[in-house]
Amino acid sequence: MTDRRRINGPAGTTIPPIFEDTSNKEDANSVKGRTRAPDAVRKMFLRTGVTPTASGSAYLEYESSAKSGVSGIKLSCTVHGPRSLPRSSPFSPHIVLSTHVKYAPFATKQRRGYLRDPSERDLGTHLETALRGAIIADRWPKSGVDIIISVIEGDQDRASSGPQSDETWDMMNVLSGCITVASAALADAGIDCVDTVAGGVAALVQGPSEDTPPSVVVDPIPSEHERILGACCIAYLPTRDEVTNLWFKGDLPASEMDLYTKLVENGILASASASKVLVDCLKDALA
Amino acid sequence: MASQIHVNLSPAELAYLHASLSLTPPIRPDGRSPDQYRPLSAETGILPGTNGSARICFADGTEAIVGVKAEVEKTGRRWDDDTIFLEGGGDDEEGGDKEKGSTQQGGNKEWVELTVEIPGQRDDDSATVFLAQMLSEALLADGGFVERLKINRGWHWKLYLDILLISPPLSYPLPLLSLTTHLALLSTRLPRLKSEGDEDPFFDDDWAAAPYLYPRDKKARPPVTLLVMAVGNNIIFDPAKEELAVADVVLAVSVADVADRKGKGVEDEDMDVDGRKLKLLSIRTVDPPSRLTPPGVPNASNTAYGHASAGATQQKMPEARAVESEAVEGVWKAPRGGAKLAVMGALVQKVLQKGGVADEVLDALEAVDLS
Repeated sequence: MTDRRRINGPAGTTIPPIFEDTSNKEDANSVKGRTRAPDAVRKMFLRTGVTPTASGSAYLEYESSAKSGVSGIKLSCTVHGPRSLPRSSPFSPHIVLSTHVKYAPFATKQRRGYLRDPSERDLGTHLETALRGAIIADRWPKSGVDIIISVIEGDQDRASSGPQSDETWDMMNVLSGCITVASAALADAGIDCVDTVAGGVAALVQGPSEDTPPSVVVDPIPSEHERILGACCIAYLPTRDEVTNLWFKGDLPASEMDLYTKLVENGILASASASKVLVDCLKDALA
Repeated sequence: MASQIHVNLSPAELAYLHASLSLTPPIRPDGRSPDQYRPLSAETGILPGTNGSARICFADGTEAIVGVKAEVEKTGRRWDDDTIFLEGGGDDEEGGDKEKGSTQQGGNKEWVELTVEIPGQRDDDSATVFLAQMLSEALLADGGFVERLKINRGWHWKLYLDILLISPPLSYPLPLLSLTTHLALLSTRLPRLKSEGDEDPFFDDDWAAAPYLYPRDKKARPPVTLLVMAVGNNIIFDPAKEELAVADVVLAVSVADVADRKGKGVEDEDMDVDGRKLKLLSIRTVDPPSRLTPPGVPNASNTAYGHASAGATQQKMPEARAVESEAVEGVWKAPRGGAKLAVMGALVQKVLQKGGVADEVLDALEAVDLS
């Protein structure tokens, strides 16, 4: 029996209307490609001590892209601890580090749930690897520290109607931000580190046409490039000249080792720029 | 995480192990050469209810089973699908399909579901998630794998890879799980398609006629993830638990053989002698468990060896902390900081070099009889 009192939707499945990309049109105002130099990172804003209740905290924001509809990254990090471990936990000669990275439900184009999904747990593990190398862990036996990062805005092209194939590259950008902001928050909490660790991303991108050879850029925004062939995220200790975390992903012929080396070098370049911001911010906080 | 695998070694044992692994050539506790894998026994086709399965047992007693199951699934219509008529688009159906085909419309990473089960660990534990993400990252990195799962424009295979470690995790299980997954994918067969074009798929019910997901006569092979670590200047492959406990840096490097991919940039001079063309798919730093090992106490600051007073002097001296961080020869200290770039580069180089370990591992897996 059909329901005649209400206006029902169509019986079959439908697809939501998707409008043609405005960027396809020849619009003088729209910015298409990358406006920065290949070796220039986006501007960032970093401030420590934003959350008074936490023992250390920091907030990081990346400049949003010149292309409209592309949001930047906004990250907030709190550090709780060092504090004593619960009595039930086993003895640890080092500080027990636990990292949580959580996207806010509204941080990306597709809504995120309240439970951490595998990609967020994965980011947490990467962050833990990056920080564990920097923290001097044996100064706090029998204690723990929690590092909690909420991603308020996660670097995605909201205007485009395209598929979400860029998600993994966005994850790298977010991870590099997470490393930098966590490092600032750790310094704010007064936890001893060997150096301030900073994150940076470099990517191998396809040129505007198929014939041009791929080029290496730092701090890529996926929507600004035709196609990303590979990217690497690096956590770098500038004064020690050491890398605590390296995450490379892509599709690179084994014969092109120099391309890989170039990618890593550019990643370090990006981390070094982030590190400058980090050091300036920490100096400002002291002054 | 690797760091959660507890090693019950004393600081003195760790120092000894570190010293012997830093020698040239390194002396490993089990007598292997630096780039030698643990001996293993492998078999495929052990699970009759799956499309492909494999079991690998390492000599140290760790054992893993992988089952691959496939289901036919309707491909959701997508924004760039030709069935959706964009205003001003849609008329270049022929050309557009060909050009975009390999990259955008080839497949979706949601067509592969990979789960890792490790006894004694929750499945949402970050270590397990990290392993699963690492394995699926390698599988999905080049998009060539999901392309194989496409049946026609309306239908595709959904592949479930279930990776079970059936022994307790005696060592970091990554190499074991990766090799087993590789074998299971090699032995995976999908029913032969009888229907043509964009019809609803209809399959041959003769299992013997089912083609392999990775055809035997072609060169392309699924990825393998190799665990490699550095101690001092030495590079060590497939480290055991004890060796990981003194590692300076541990990397997981995923490579795959893509010899027959028709993509651009495949030139003949890139080819190996045996036609193998390795591709680097992903690299991840694994947190070495060495960072969580207990430090040794040098005699100079040990009260049992005549060092006058532990508490009193340290509290008074502000430079006590500086003393603390100084390394003493022969006394174990958990590594601090990261790795030099040159060391990491050397690790990757060693994996990728022609005739290197990656080639050797792929050759060995090739030799496994697929039943």
